Amino acid sequence: MPHDRAEKPSRQPKTCLGTLISTRPSMPPASSPTSPSLPGYAGLSGRHDEAVAPDGTLRPVWARFFQTLGPDPVAALRAAGEQARRSVIEQDISLNIYSGEGSSAAAWPLDAVPLLLEDADWTSLSDGLRQRARLFNTLLKDLYGPQRHLRSGAIPAALAMANPHYLRACADLGRGRQPFLHLYAADVGRSPDGRWWVLQDRLDVPSGLGYALQNRLIVRHALADSFRTTPVRRLYNFARDLRSSLDRLHDRSESPRLVLLSPGPANESYFEHTYLARHLGCPLVEGGDLTVRDRQVFLRTVGGLRPVDVVLRRVDSDFCDPLELDPRSLLGVPGLVDAAQAGRVALANQLGARALESPALLAFLGPLCRSVLGEELRLPNAATWWGGQPEARDYILANLPALVLKPAFAGRQARYAGTLSEKERQALADEILDQPGAWCGQERVLLGTTPAWHHPSDNLRPAPFVMRVYLAWHDGDYQVMPGGLTRFNADGEDAGVSLQSGSVSKDTWIVGSGSQGEGPLPNPPSSASSRRGSATPSRLADSLYWLGRYLERTARLSAHLEKLDPLLRDENVSLDPEAAADAARLSLELQDNFPAAGAPLPDLVALARRDAYDRRRPASLVSNLLRLSRNLEVAKVRLPPEAWDIARRLRALGAEGAQILPAALRAQLATLESIVGDTLAHDTGWRFLEIGRRLERANQLLFLLRGLLARPGAAAPGEFRLQTALHFADSLFTYRAVFPGTFHPADVLAWLVSDAENPRSLRFQAERLGEHLASLPCELAPRAAEQLRNTAFRLLGAARLAESEALDNVPASVARFTTEQLALTSHLHDRLARLYFAHGDVEPGE
Amino acid sequence: MPLYRIQHVTSYRHEAPAASAWQTLRLRPRDEPGQTVLDFDLELVPRIHDLAARRDAFGNHLHVFSVRESHLEFHVAASSLVRREAPARPGRTRVTLAEAPVSTKASILSGDFTLEQFRHPTLHVPALPEVKEITSKLDPSLDLVAALEALGDIFARDFVFDATATDVGTPLAEVIRDHRGVCQDFAHLYLACARRLGLAAAYVSGYLRTEPPPGQPPLVGADAMHAWVSVHVPGHGWLDYDPTNHCFAGDDHLVVARGRDYGDVSPIRGIFNGGGGHALSLGVTVSPVDACVLG
Repeated sequence: MPHDRAEKPSRQPKTCLGTLISTRPSMPPASSPTSPSLPGYAGLSGRHDEAVAPDGTLRPVWARFFQTLGPDPVAALRAAGEQARRSVIEQDISLNIYSGEGSSAAAWPLDAVPLLLEDADWTSLSDGLRQRARLFNTLLKDLYGPQRHLRSGAIPAALAMANPHYLRACADLGRGRQPFLHLYAADVGRSPDGRWWVLQDRLDVPSGLGYALQNRLIVRHALADSFRTTPVRRLYNFARDLRSSLDRLHDRSESPRLVLLSPGPANESYFEHTYLARHLGCPLVEGGDLTVRDRQVFLRTVGGLRPVDVVLRRVDSDFCDPLELDPRSLLGVPGLVDAAQAGRVALANQLGARALESPALLAFLGPLCRSVLGEELRLPNAATWWGGQPEARDYILANLPALVLKPAFAGRQARYAGTLSEKERQALADEILDQPGAWCGQERVLLGTTPAWHHPSDNLRPAPFVMRVYLAWHDGDYQVMPGGLTRFNADGEDAGVSLQSGSVSKDTWIVGSGSQGEGPLPNPPSSASSRRGSATPSRLADSLYWLGRYLERTARLSAHLEKLDPLLRDENVSLDPEAAADAARLSLELQDNFPAAGAPLPDLVALARRDAYDRRRPASLVSNLLRLSRNLEVAKVRLPPEAWDIARRLRALGAEGAQILPAALRAQLATLESIVGDTLAHDTGWRFLEIGRRLERANQLLFLLRGLLARPGAAAPGEFRLQTALHFADSLFTYRAVFPGTFHPADVLAWLVSDAENPRSLRFQAERLGEHLASLPCELAPRAAEQLRNTAFRLLGAARLAESEALDNVPASVARFTTEQLALTSHLHDRLARLYFAHGDVEPGE
Repeated sequence: MPLYRIQHVTSYRHEAPAASAWQTLRLRPRDEPGQTVLDFDLELVPRIHDLAARRDAFGNHLHVFSVRESHLEFHVAASSLVRREAPARPGRTRVTLAEAPVSTKASILSGDFTLEQFRHPTLHVPALPEVKEITSKLDPSLDLVAALEALGDIFARDFVFDATATDVGTPLAEVIRDHRGVCQDFAHLYLACARRLGLAAAYVSGYLRTEPPPGQPPLVGADAMHAWVSVHVPGHGWLDYDPTNHCFAGDDHLVVARGRDYGDVSPIRGIFNGGGGHALSLGVTVSPVDACVLG
């Protein structure tokens, strides 16, 4: 329904919702005597409010919504807010993870109170946005094609020719049959008269779609009853069609191969990239994962180079190809522009779209729409004057205090001249006069408001908001996602609502007139990539391998620390104090600390504990934990949501640093191990993770043997030392079951080294390593793969043959044995890394 | 109509082997009025499997390729056979320096919108206040062609060619301060002046003949790639001027590429995977060919 035009700013005092509803004939009868009320909420003077009409009555869609919340809507919304906050934290939804060493992510800001819009209102907005998407697509195809609108002057030549975002290397990319704009987003706001205004068009890398989908999942859960009883339009169809519309960008008849190109974990919206890649079932890659040969894009995988047909791009155009675009970029793929020019790869969106994000273009959009589409522009944008035209420049200078001054292209800050001092304003005027074409003046839009949870007052308050709406190319036209990413500033200001500067997001509900929304519920994202995406990218395999290694290493170290404390109270220590000291020394040596001989046990234990929390020590427990977290972040795309919660907890433990309880850490690690073992598909990526774990476990066992049973010059180990070795190898319990009551060096060594049934033995690790290596792809470099497998086989042979005779002469023979096997595992690592992780191109047959 | 054989050899030598590389070349001379390319050949070592040829947004010839094998050295040898006529030179244009900006804008509005891109500051030709001190010495009532020569006179008087003074990355402000530079700096500075004056002006890369005709002194910049400028003269068209040699371009100026500044026309641009630093060496010879020999 069309909203009433705001007359005078209304100052309706606190109103009871029940009575208001009954005075509105268009409302369904308010049946419940305990109608919900919304005390203390009133719109802001001079602005349109979504929930409350100028006469103070609740708009119908909001009245119905508050009714679904039960007798105390405010309490219900408070509870929903709590629930949503918990979900955000549990699912580890974040902005800007790892912007630097060890820095932590900010939790995604989400207000559980949705923005509600009537279907009819939405339909007219959607029509306007579809028109706009078509217009921009046509303009972009022309700009990077025949350039008719520049030639005719409909777009002033300088808007392209002096625009740093007009990418000359991309000239002619608009001539293909495919749309230039696959995904389009617009930031819209409500003006005081209730009309929708476009504030900004997002053409190059429209972000936030993943967050919008995620918001829906969380709010749907937090407001489950309301969502069920309100006919909210579902996002499912749009999300489902996204993949097929991307596939169709390429002419290939079989299923095209899609990747999502991300700037990497340092990017503020990396979470969204992870989310979208999982949703679309495609590999999440960075520039270094891709390479161009013969004008074709390839993905570097552990099985060699795999062709890529479609790239969903989350890297800004300018940074996509250091060869032909910004040479300083480390995020791009050399040769990508040429591959696009050759028509061998489809990019969504096509490169160069940012050229038309210039606010200066808004000054010409109306006439362009008439001449390009033969229609009037349906949605207004804020009135804009471009200084490159003399009359417009004079208007800007004459009306400076009333305008927002925006740079036409980039490199300058937007300024609201109304808040500047007389001197600053004069300086700005001089700057505009010097380079008028670099500036735009734009009328200031007083944004409409919507109810938002206000934490200081623990109640709803009107907050000026901006809504980002997404459109995707589908079957020859643009499809609008019936929802969006709504944002408001927590402090109620409306200048520059952006997620970077502390604004809060909301789910957006488009409420139909029917009793139920159409379509099934959206599925939660699947954790495994689709089968055709299962060629594991080399860099992901590398991260998974190191995830396995750090997981095992961190688990061993925390287990050691956990076992040291009881030693201090163990009276048996007096039987062989040196054995206990050696155990403590092992924990120190694993953290690269080599204490002088003769230090007393309590000192060694205290030292090991202190080292563990020392971030400056690269081998400390906490440093290993941080590396584990970092690899977990990269591997996240392959892990189920339960693992994301562990990731968050581990990051928090690492950040606390001061006193991690080894037991708490071990519990988290054990959960992660079980997720890894029981819920991951046993595919190639998982094998790399397992190889990492097995190799690390073999190493840790060898370190233990060396530290406890091979100290130079020591006598044959006594019973307490043997028990300690078994205990630290987590094998005491199983040993006792097999060899009840006896502790012979030969038995202990056989159990730890050569027994096939002890899951902690060296042989057990070597067997698993051999199995996993045999399942890895080897076509790329058969000889190198053969050598790698032989190395694992030698390790297995040594473990098998080590039975009694070879290790009889402890500790000297154990010393020799551990040295030899550690050399083998190190060899194994080198060969594996060279064969599968070397990010440079490996030529077949090497 | 002189005929020239151009040999242009570039060699990279890496500190360590580079696993792979991607390169763009702008080495094939332009086909344009007054200049015809009769033959062009590229020789690349190691061998290349995916050489692709395109035109860039300025109409220059662009080659793109990748090097897939590990290499310590990389060689590019370009050989061209070019026929060149002396460009036409307007005597008087009936447009004064003061009127030129308005006439240029009129040309842009009447359809030649690409001129617009040659009027604005670029990365290598920023808008500098010092430039105004140079351009203010020109008499605005001068005929445009005479004004271009007068600007060249100022360069000849106030700036010194010094092959050691600058490198590719030297900012223009430093060139103005030290009053010395190489042909690239002269071209960039001349562009800054011309654009300050409201003209559309382009950067040109190309070659000069190595040995001068008998009895004439050699031109500066003949043993490497050369750079000069081109100014749009309303009512006439582009007019090439060589500020380094204080003359209009003649039939011994061979055009390879045109753009807004050096960044648009760099002859070789590469991204290496590994390799550490590298040393670059190049050799250029341009010799006249007797047309009869060719048959």
